[in-house]
Amino acid sequence: MNQWMTLFKKEMLEMSRNFKWIWVPLTFIMIAVKEPLTLYYMPQIIDSLGGLPEGAVIELPVPSAGEALAASLSQFNTFGVLIIVLITMGTIAGERKSGVAGLILVKPVSYAWFVTAKWASSMILIWISYFLSYFLSWYYVGVLFEFISFMDFLQSFFVNGIWLTLIVTVVILFNTFMKSPGAVGFISIGIIVILSILSSSLPHLLEWSPALLSAYANAFIMGSNLPDELLPSIIVSVIMITLSLLASIAIFKRRELA
Amino acid sequence: MEFLESINWAILAPIVIIQLILVAVAIIDLVKIEKANGPKWVWALIVLFINLLGPIIYFIFGRRS
Amino acid sequence: MPVVNIINIKKQFQDQEVIKGMDFQLSERKCIALLGANGAGKTTTLKMLAGLVKPDSGSIVFEGAEKADFRRLIGYLPQFPVFYEWMTGNEFLEYAGQLAGLPKSEAKDRAKELLELTGIAEAKNRRIGKYSGGMKQRLGIAQAIIHRPKLVMLDEPVSALDPFGRREVLELMDKLKKESAILFSTHILNDAEEICDEILFLHNGELVESGTLTGLRTKHQQAKIDLAFKENTLQYAEELSLLQPVSSMKLDGEYASFFVEDIEYARELFLTEIMQRNLPLVKFEISRTRLEDVFMKVVQK
Repeated sequence: MNQWMTLFKKEMLEMSRNFKWIWVPLTFIMIAVKEPLTLYYMPQIIDSLGGLPEGAVIELPVPSAGEALAASLSQFNTFGVLIIVLITMGTIAGERKSGVAGLILVKPVSYAWFVTAKWASSMILIWISYFLSYFLSWYYVGVLFEFISFMDFLQSFFVNGIWLTLIVTVVILFNTFMKSPGAVGFISIGIIVILSILSSSLPHLLEWSPALLSAYANAFIMGSNLPDELLPSIIVSVIMITLSLLASIAIFKRRELA
Repeated sequence: MEFLESINWAILAPIVIIQLILVAVAIIDLVKIEKANGPKWVWALIVLFINLLGPIIYFIFGRRS
Repeated sequence: MPVVNIINIKKQFQDQEVIKGMDFQLSERKCIALLGANGAGKTTTLKMLAGLVKPDSGSIVFEGAEKADFRRLIGYLPQFPVFYEWMTGNEFLEYAGQLAGLPKSEAKDRAKELLELTGIAEAKNRRIGKYSGGMKQRLGIAQAIIHRPKLVMLDEPVSALDPFGRREVLELMDKLKKESAILFSTHILNDAEEICDEILFLHNGELVESGTLTGLRTKHQQAKIDLAFKENTLQYAEELSLLQPVSSMKLDGEYASFFVEDIEYARELFLTEIMQRNLPLVKFEISRTRLEDVFMKVVQK
């Protein structure tokens, strides 16, 4: 376990040296908090842009607090996912491409620990960024609209977090058999997009799909009824995360590193 | 200018501060880094003038790693 | 006692056969040079020994690796070592040491010791991104030996260095061979001649010759006599070459080199002839076979 800690500490140190610990949380906060703010100020924004005849009265339906927070959640699943893929696509592939992996892995390093240390450090960075930003967004919604029950917030946080975890794990999986970070990013995004489109267009066939977790997370904050498929899709996701991680280790062991 | 008056700056301030921190950290890093992924002055312009996204684009694509 | 046994390893990249079946073993505390031209398969051989490339067939058996990870026993420096540029030299060595299984305090001590030994102690707290090529090479050697491996493999460790750096690294390797076996690749014959006990000649993916330095010299001893005269060297040389024992003669600037069957007999014959005719001899040398001659000979086979 000593060696795992060494590998893990190296990842954490790297993330602070390249400022990921600063810019990733801050970026997440910006994309999350932006949504309730723009929704709240929408009438003024439209007004200031002009283009409406003098005296016209704008009647916009005032969004509910749930809608405002759901808007943040949807940001995590577009911009947030994009950033997650971009920051993890090179974590192993980049080290192999540059050649430093060749220096490290001729040491008696456990392949399983190498992969899981990478995974764990990415997870910590992303979960902390995600929590901070989503929490602040919840707070803003509370101040500008009305407070949503903290329990509902937490539940939606965890359900959507499982989907983000699956994304991190899939990106790590592609990292283990591709040498180019660009290719890893491209294929990961492709798979996430296809899975999301399929799941939302064929929800009856793929109701247990992990890609629907974000839709299910919405149910908590919108106060609507919880779908019966929530639990099965969580179970499917956890199984997929575990399998991907195991596959990553198995593939990585067999790869030639040169 | 009614728009600007009607805004509660206490609410917006954190966003502005976050944006400033991102720009500052990106510029400090750009100055300290040995070589960027492309000419440094181009990155400086991107960081300073592309609103909101500039520093993020720099951190993802500008640092050679 | 052998450290590693290599049995008939083969490797193909796409449809090119890079290693065409190779057998050898490496013994403890010996310095072995892997010699060959560019593209002979030196790097691939080292990478296979380091476990970075898997041979298509054949086996590599490390002594004492039946129970434990063979990587404990080896240290490896690639031809173009790449590090984490954001780490300092000291941080990287401590990291490498801990990954190699040293306890934290020992990794610290070893890192300090090796920074001194390799002469980069004054740069230990600088980011590796700011190191020069020579400093990276030294750091690379330090990380390869931090866990005191039984076999240290260095891929072209001195090729990229200036003459001073080259000298220092060769001296460092000379010290190292007291602790472990060293296998290093080079295309510079002098480097091999200088510090090695044994030599493996690689040509087109095959091991064309191997053995100790003295053994190889004796085996490929070519009786060669260099002669030079004050004047008319060409004419006298041609006359002398008509004498029976000469197998070939070539003119090398001022000198004429004779390759003969029996060196003792030829010496007597030549000297008698020269004395009798009172030829204006200025140089008479029986020359030693150089590694280069052996190399040219085995490669041309």
